[in-house]
Parts: sequence; C-alpha cells; structure tokens
Amino acid sequence: MIPFEMVEPTSLKEALSLLDPQEPTIRPVAGGTALMLMMKAGVFTPTRLVCLHRIEPDFSRIALTDNGELRIGAMATLRELELDSNVRSRLPVLARAMRTLSSVRVRNVARVGGALAHGDPHMDLPPVLSALGARLSITGPNGSRELPLEKLYVGYYETVLEKTDLITAVTVPPLNGRKAAYMKVTSRTADDWPSLGVAVTFAVADGRISDPIVVVSAATEKVTRMSAAEKALQGAAPDDAALQRAADAAADEVETLSDAHGSAPYKRELLRVYLRRAVRQALDGSGH
Amino acid sequence: MSTRLINFTLNGEPVSTAIEPHRNLVELLQRFDLFGARESCGQGLCGCCTVLVDGKAVSGCLYFAVWVDGKDVTTIEALDADGQLSPLQQAFVDTAAFQCGYCTPGFILMAQQLLEENPNPSDDDIRHYLSGNLCRCGTYPEVIEAVKAAAKR
Repeated sequence: MIPFEMVEPTSLKEALSLLDPQEPTIRPVAGGTALMLMMKAGVFTPTRLVCLHRIEPDFSRIALTDNGELRIGAMATLRELELDSNVRSRLPVLARAMRTLSSVRVRNVARVGGALAHGDPHMDLPPVLSALGARLSITGPNGSRELPLEKLYVGYYETVLEKTDLITAVTVPPLNGRKAAYMKVTSRTADDWPSLGVAVTFAVADGRISDPIVVVSAATEKVTRMSAAEKALQGAAPDDAALQRAADAAADEVETLSDAHGSAPYKRELLRVYLRRAVRQALDGSGH
Repeated sequence: MSTRLINFTLNGEPVSTAIEPHRNLVELLQRFDLFGARESCGQGLCGCCTVLVDGKAVSGCLYFAVWVDGKDVTTIEALDADGQLSPLQQAFVDTAAFQCGYCTPGFILMAQQLLEENPNPSDDDIRHYLSGNLCRCGTYPEVIEAVKAAAKR
C-alpha cells in the first residue's frame, strides 16, 4: 500500500474537523475491512485516514430506547450486532443475516456505520435495515440530522453523505408483529458476496398482506425499493398466484447489473424466484 | 516516511516498535520473526492470516498494524510456548487435519475461539464458524473431526 497519514481523534468534534469537504483522498475509517480492500485494489489511495477507534466507546452501544426502538451505535461491530440479545429476540432477521455475512473474523472488526456508509450494493445490512424502516443519525459540521436509510443510496458506491458527515447511530423501529425475511443468493461459496439480496417486511391482517416493503440489493447498482412488487402484494392473500404476480412485477421493474456474481438476466430470474421464497419465509418464520 | 511508536502485548510479552500507518498486522508480526500468520488471499477470505487481538480473531491482512497499540496480540506461536502442543494442535495432528499445513494456524486459532464460545459445537456450527477458512488441500472432513476431538478433551 502507498503511505498515508493516519490520525486518531479523541472526540467526534475533532474527527469532523479532520475531514475535508473538498478532498476525496481524506476519509474516515471504522473497521477498515472494506476500505482496505479498495486500497489494495488501488481504487482508493488516501492521503489521510481519520480513524474512529478512539471515539468508539461513545458510539458502540446497542440499546433499546424508551419507545421500544433499537438504537445501534455506528461503531458497534457486526459481531456485537449478531450476538446482541435484543437483536436476537426482537429482530431475528438481522441476527440471521449476519451469519452468512463474510466470516467471524471480518464481523469482529467491521462496524455497522462503515457497512452502511460504504455504499457497496453487495452488502447485507443496507437492504435488511432499509426493509426494517431504519433511520440514520448523521452528524456534520452544521449539526445533526436524521435520514431514513432507504434515502441514503443514490448510485453505485454513492450516498447522500457529505465528505464531512459521520453516521453516529442507526435506529430500528420495533417489528410490532410485522413479518420479515432476508434472503441472499451467492453463486459460489456461502459467505461470498451475493448475486442478489432481497429483504421483505409486511404486516398481515385478516390473512392479507399490508404495508409491504420490498428491498433489492447486489443485483442492482444501489439498494432499491421495488414499488411495483409492493403494490402487487398490498392487500393480497399470499397464495401462489399473488406471489407470482409480485415476483413478475419485481422482475419487470428491476434494473439489474452484470458482474462477476452473475449476468443481468440471471439476476432478474433470481429475483423472480427469491422474492416468492422471501415472502414465504417471512410468513412461516423459518430460519435460513 | 512517518512512523508511529506502538506498544502492545505480543504473546504475553510487552513489546514496542515504530511502524508506518500503511502496514498491516501480518507485516508487523514478521518484524518479530513470527511467520505463523500468513498473508495468502489478502482479502480476508482465506483465514491464513488469523491473529487474536484482545482475544478476538481478526484477519491480519485487513487490520492496520497501528491499531494494536495498547492491545493484546496472540499468534499461533503462543499455543505451544511451554513446549506442549495445545489440545487443538494435538487433535489436528492426531486426525491428520492438514496436508501442506499452510492454512493450519488460521484454522486452529479460529477453532480455539469457536470452542471458547461454544464448547460442544455441532458439525453445522463448526462448518459455519470455519466457513471463512480455506484449505486448498481439502482436509475439511478431518478439520471437523479434529475440532470435535479437541472439544472432548
């Protein structure tokens, strides 16, 4: 790797002051597992990395808020998220998604905030947390704001974050009886980057699906909601015909990208199959 | 080129060295003549560079060396420091859970962490936990036997 400067601020304010609104070679680093891959591949050559480890204790807590939401500090590791008792009991879909996310070693080091800010559409947390209605807490030089996670991504590795913004936490509302599932399809080994990720959440009332959220990742240039599929599911009894209509709607509306994990037409067919499977898995609560 | 002085515990001994921020943990260990952690894929996929930092397994190739400042680092070399193979090492020998041995330090350190968290793992638990370790010789069935044998000891 080409030499660079690593600074280690001890407060959020200091960290923000070390970032630069104009300089793309200055970036924050949390766990570094994804950033180091970019650096080794030569697609990112920093002049300065702003290491966030020394402010980690303030931003790594995972705790329930008074209104039953789960607030996850951005510096919590993926492994801490996976093993957290509230995550396991209240958001099992999230704990399950961690099991096939890379390896235990990477999950020991990678941080939640980094996994969200990186903008790689192949990552698992963005689709799962988007379908769960998660909101980001973001702090920049002009103060703090909240942003629905589904509004974060605008393109391939592109987010709405400014270079001087840091994610401090992600807040996940309670499921309140909503069903949830995330399925990922890998074309090589089980822990590989996926060809497709599909996350679904919905309520069931009188045997019919209501307020569905369908989010696709990996097959697309960014994490994307499937509004036609959601419309097809809304109010439907989840029988084979309805799931087929929703799957066809998703396959029609999705814009898939070809990459090493599969061709665009292949990924479109994967979505047609896995959207149905995801809805069924959410309904019967089966692990995967 | 600027370096940073770091102090850390390496296999039980306090050590310090000056290192550049762009070096990774595997490169740091080589300065101490420790070659059990090997950079193989360089992408955190194969597990050959597994090192324990504060008791948790990390991929040494994806971990900046300066980050071990103030931390406790354990490598495969610590396991038989008293002249005796650890139960896991002995189990790998007894079940012939390696051929060339290149991946073995990573498998053993990961398996050690697995057994600390889950002293009686099922085959499925072992497969999942070790899914991020690759053995090009294909000794996976023997590795599972070794971990189960060590769990009984």
